[in-house]
Amino acid sequence: MELIGEQLIAAPIQQVWLGLNDVAILHAAIPGCEEIERVSEEEVRAKVMFKIGPVRARFAGKLMLADVMPEQSCSMAFEGSGGAAGFAKGKAKVELFVVEGGTLIRYSTEAAIGGKLGQIGGRLINASAKKIADEFFMAFAKELGGELILLDDQKE
Amino acid sequence: MKSATFDYIKPNNLRDAMALLSKHGDEARLIAGGQTLLATLNLRLSEPSLLIDITNISELKGIELKEKAIRIGSLVTHTEIEDSDLIAHHVPLLKEAAPHIAHRAIRNLGTWGGSIAYGDPAAEWPACALALDATMIIQGPSGERKVPVKDFFQDLYTTILEPEDVLVATEIPITAPNQVYSFIELARRHGDYAVAGLAAVAQKQSGGLHACRLAFFSVASTPIMATTTQDFLEGKKLNQETISEAVKLARQEIETLADITNSAEMKTHLLGVLLERTLLKMSA
Repeated sequence: MELIGEQLIAAPIQQVWLGLNDVAILHAAIPGCEEIERVSEEEVRAKVMFKIGPVRARFAGKLMLADVMPEQSCSMAFEGSGGAAGFAKGKAKVELFVVEGGTLIRYSTEAAIGGKLGQIGGRLINASAKKIADEFFMAFAKELGGELILLDDQKE
Repeated sequence: MKSATFDYIKPNNLRDAMALLSKHGDEARLIAGGQTLLATLNLRLSEPSLLIDITNISELKGIELKEKAIRIGSLVTHTEIEDSDLIAHHVPLLKEAAPHIAHRAIRNLGTWGGSIAYGDPAAEWPACALALDATMIIQGPSGERKVPVKDFFQDLYTTILEPEDVLVATEIPITAPNQVYSFIELARRHGDYAVAGLAAVAQKQSGGLHACRLAFFSVASTPIMATTTQDFLEGKKLNQETISEAVKLARQEIETLADITNSAEMKTHLLGVLLERTLLKMSA
């Protein structure tokens, strides 16, 4: 599965970068996040309850950061297990750009989903991932005190 | 696989069901036909601690003709809709759509309300409800409220229903004598989830279509109306040129979403194919 997207947030790039690195803000912004902990500079661990459609599964996972360029970009590798429900692993790249009106976040993710979740959740996995990403950015923008600005192709 | 253990309670009226829901909150799930929920439990994709079986609750049953609407109780099965004379006479779109839902054995158990409340973007009933401008009757902790269908489906598997709400019934305006309708879907095999589908109704007057309602499904995260295309079609006589223009507009206005086997481009292409077939059928 691939998920590529962009979000414009009405906040300066320094603040967006700090937000993305602040576990308290991430805790509040990640939908269903129950625990999140920064184990080291590179490693973040989290427990997340995913509730989407028929699925209600608790995932425990870790995220390893790499190629960190402060206020510009970073890459990450992640893996998570949801017990009987299945597992997910993959990698993502996040880039920040200063634009008029705030900061543009561009992200691209590649993930593999396995187990039962892969079998029956598969049909709508892209739509599910997009919904979770949208909810995250909405909450993230709110945490930063800025607002989410709809890009042209997101306007109704 | 077998499900994790859960408690099971079968209340006899709506009040008791509501009390159980409010007591157990997120740990409880309502069960009616169980055609989606039981599969999910057996695969252990979700492990609620309590199932509240609502199939004894008479307030949720039956198809009734009211003054200007048909009321479909949430517990009405797909088969009951398929076989109902009231539906065939007053809301024929639903009769046409019913055979597309899975297979007869599933239709015998699965319910109207279950499908609507679940809000699968590929399901037939949510799209029909949208095309037919239905009104959802919802019982919540603070009483009953009515929600127009345009506000009901909000996002992928997400409706306006709150955790303690019960969808009681749906009211559908009865069909005007000059109404034309069409339901088509493209699926890889009969009974599969649609790759793309279209439920449509319109009034036919002096050769033109009026008040056209085009509800596409399985192309976005909810069933979705092609409002620009509908406005364009208002009052127009249908010829090849109008149809081509409508197809172009619909492909432009609907932002499609890929699923695991079909790309967004494929869905955009197919929605145009569906619209062309629908308009030809409705203008015949």
